[in-house]
Formats: sequence, structure tokens, C-alpha cells
Amino acid sequence: MSLGFKRKLRTAALLLFVFAVVGLLIYSRIVAYSLAPTLKPADFSGLAWYEIPVYYLWDYISHAWICLLFAFTAAGLVYEFMPKNLIVRYMGSNKVSGYLIAAGLAPFFTVCSCTMVPLFAGILYTGAGMGPAITFLLMAPAANILTILVTGEFLSWDMAVVRIAASLITALAAGVIVSKTPWGKAVEKERHVSQVSEQRGTVELAKPPLDERFISALKFGVYLAQQILPYFVVGLIVVGYVTAYMPESIVEGYLTGVTGVLIASIIGGPLYTPTLVEVVVGRSLFQLGMSRAALLSWLMGQPYDIANMTAVSKITGWKVVVTYALTAWSSSVVLSLVYGVLTGSL
Amino acid sequence: MKALKIEVIGPDPPCSRCMMVKRIAEEAAGRLESGGVKVEVVKADILSREVLTKYGTLVSPAVAIDGVVRIMGRIPTEAEVEELTRTAAEERSRD
Repeated sequence: MSLGFKRKLRTAALLLFVFAVVGLLIYSRIVAYSLAPTLKPADFSGLAWYEIPVYYLWDYISHAWICLLFAFTAAGLVYEFMPKNLIVRYMGSNKVSGYLIAAGLAPFFTVCSCTMVPLFAGILYTGAGMGPAITFLLMAPAANILTILVTGEFLSWDMAVVRIAASLITALAAGVIVSKTPWGKAVEKERHVSQVSEQRGTVELAKPPLDERFISALKFGVYLAQQILPYFVVGLIVVGYVTAYMPESIVEGYLTGVTGVLIASIIGGPLYTPTLVEVVVGRSLFQLGMSRAALLSWLMGQPYDIANMTAVSKITGWKVVVTYALTAWSSSVVLSLVYGVLTGSL
Repeated sequence: MKALKIEVIGPDPPCSRCMMVKRIAEEAAGRLESGGVKVEVVKADILSREVLTKYGTLVSPAVAIDGVVRIMGRIPTEAEVEELTRTAAEERSRD
């Protein structure tokens, strides 16, 4: 068999797999099979303590595997096939379009702080500067393919849309505000490198054959799953107990109204919730009676957790980090309150 | 002839994907060396002033061969790195 034929065969097999995954998702829609778990808090009352995680995990995984498989496959494909070269070049453009590009492109970069932080620094140093860099930093964890798909499937699609919109406003506000502060300007000025240098290197990306790109995409999906799923499972076990034992009166008492928004934003923010876990915890609290407005402010806490802030503070110093965290926090509280008032779900 | 430089560019301390790329590059280099091509593999910090002025913003992990970024944001195969380096070495000897 010639090499060319083998490659074609492999490409076809991989395409088939991708279509099968998409097909599964569509099929589950048609037969109205719930991709989100079905157990209600009341279902736990008859279970012994050691049975709770087993039932809860099974309930989740038996329903959610299609959605997770699709989400990780999609994230891998998008990451592999996005034109990185172009994106990187556009990120270095001027101020106004810098913001738009930073916000618009962030969804394509799925998780992994070891990719995020260098890109943040790249935009800051050689590209559009402080404002767009912060916008990108806050937008990417809040609105990437993986998070949006899981929020949409597990919670609801209108929640996913509201989350994108609220995150966009927050990320832009934080970017603009930080870039106007004296310390933000100082960091930008000190760190900016001009790209005029005698021994300028070039970027000429090699293009591997299609089958290898597919394999590389799926491998990245697997890598993401390896990074995220262990936390997800541990998160689910904890959530299982919370759902089973947390009295609804506490949730209804503290996680509704204006206080609810405030408390949810405080525990959802600085507290480090690994990607996707914020969705399942939020879902469980919501079932127990948390208001939709509080749910939104809980979800919006994702981008400014402690781990992320520490990594960024090494590049920009604490003043910038505190400024963007406070801006993002106030913005998420205000937007959640507005959302609550407008939809009557405070 | 001066050794051909393969730069593996990623954050410092390296993330797991960058370490994997470095190992792949070293193995490819080993094979090229035994074929008589002199190759040097170095790890470059994606946040350093040097890398930023030279290549601008990159998606990690990236691989630059003889001063040209050929791979960005993915893990290449050993054969690919070997092939790209061999081509670069041939181009250089032609100049």
C-alpha cells in the first residue's frame, strides 16, 4: 500500500469518528435524551453515605459522556485547525481592533494556563498592549468552546448566552480600566519590546498532512480531558454530597436576592474552581434553590481565581492584578443584579 | 560547519507539552547526528525579551529551526522534526 493511500484511509477513518461524535449529539437531541444528569436532590434521601458518589457519578457520566466527548473533540479540532499564524499576527495590531480581536479570538483558546499566560504576555509585550491583553485573559476561560458547550448542555443555553455577553462586557471593562491606570501604563511602557532587531527571526509554519493534523487534534482533546476530567470527577463527588446533605433552606436563605449575588460572586471568584467544575457545582446549587442571578455571578467568577492571578502577577505586578480582579468582580456583581432585575430572577 | 540550532520555545518552567516536544526534538537530533548533521537543541523561554524581539508573540509549544519558527501550538512527530531540520541543513549548505 502506498503512503499516500494509507494517509487517505487514515483521514477518512478519523473523519468518520468526528462525524460519529457529531451524529451522536444530534441523535440524542432527536430522541430527547437528556445529556444533563437527572437525579434530583430528593432522590438522595434513601441512599447510604457511600452510595451517594457512586449513584451521582453514574448518573452524570451515563448522561454526560456524549456531551463531554463532543466538547473535547470540538475543542481539539478548533485548536488544531485555527490559523494560529494569522491570529498571532492580528493580536499585534493597534488598540481598538486589538480589543475586538482579543475578545473575539479568546473563545478559540481552550484552557491550559501554560498557553494562556505566554499569549497574555505576548499581546502585552509585542502586540496591542495592556488593555487587550487583560481582555483576552479574562475572556478566554469564561467563553471558550469547552465551557460554553458544557454550560449550555448542563445548565441551559440561555444561561450560556448570558454568560458570554456578561463576560464580554466584564473583560472589555477590565481591559480599558487597567490600561488607563498609571501602574498599567507603567508596566506596558517598561515591558514593551519593539520588534526591530538585526537578527529578526521569521515564522514560516510547516503544514503537516491532513491525517496527522487530525491525530494531533484528537490528541489535544485527550490531553485536555486528562487535565480536566480528574478534577471534574473529584468535583462531582463533592457536589454529590453537597446535593444530598445541604439543606435547601440554607441555599434559599443565602444564595438568593442581592446577598445571594454577593456571596456567590465571592465564593465563585477567588476560590479556585477547575474548569467545568464551576458548571456542575453551580447546577447543583441552582437545583437546591440558588437564584439565576446568583448563578450567573457564580459562573463569572471563573476567570479571576487565585492560580491565574498569581501567574499574571509575576508578569505585571500586583497592582494590575488587583485592579482587574476588582473591576471584574464589581462588573460581575452589577451585571448579575441587572440580569436578576430584568428577568425577575433575583 | 556550525551546528544547526533547534529552539524549543515554551514557558519557563516548562509545561508538560513543552517537555514532550523537547524530548522529541532531542531524539530527532540524535538521529540526525548519527547521519552526520550537527544539531543543537536548546530550550528558549517564550517570555524572554530575546525570544519576543526575535519572533514576536507565539503559541506554545513552538519549535524554531535555524531561526525560523516552523511549529507552533502543537506537538510534532519525531519524523517531522527530523525532516524539517534536514531540509534546513540542506538549504544552508546550498547557500
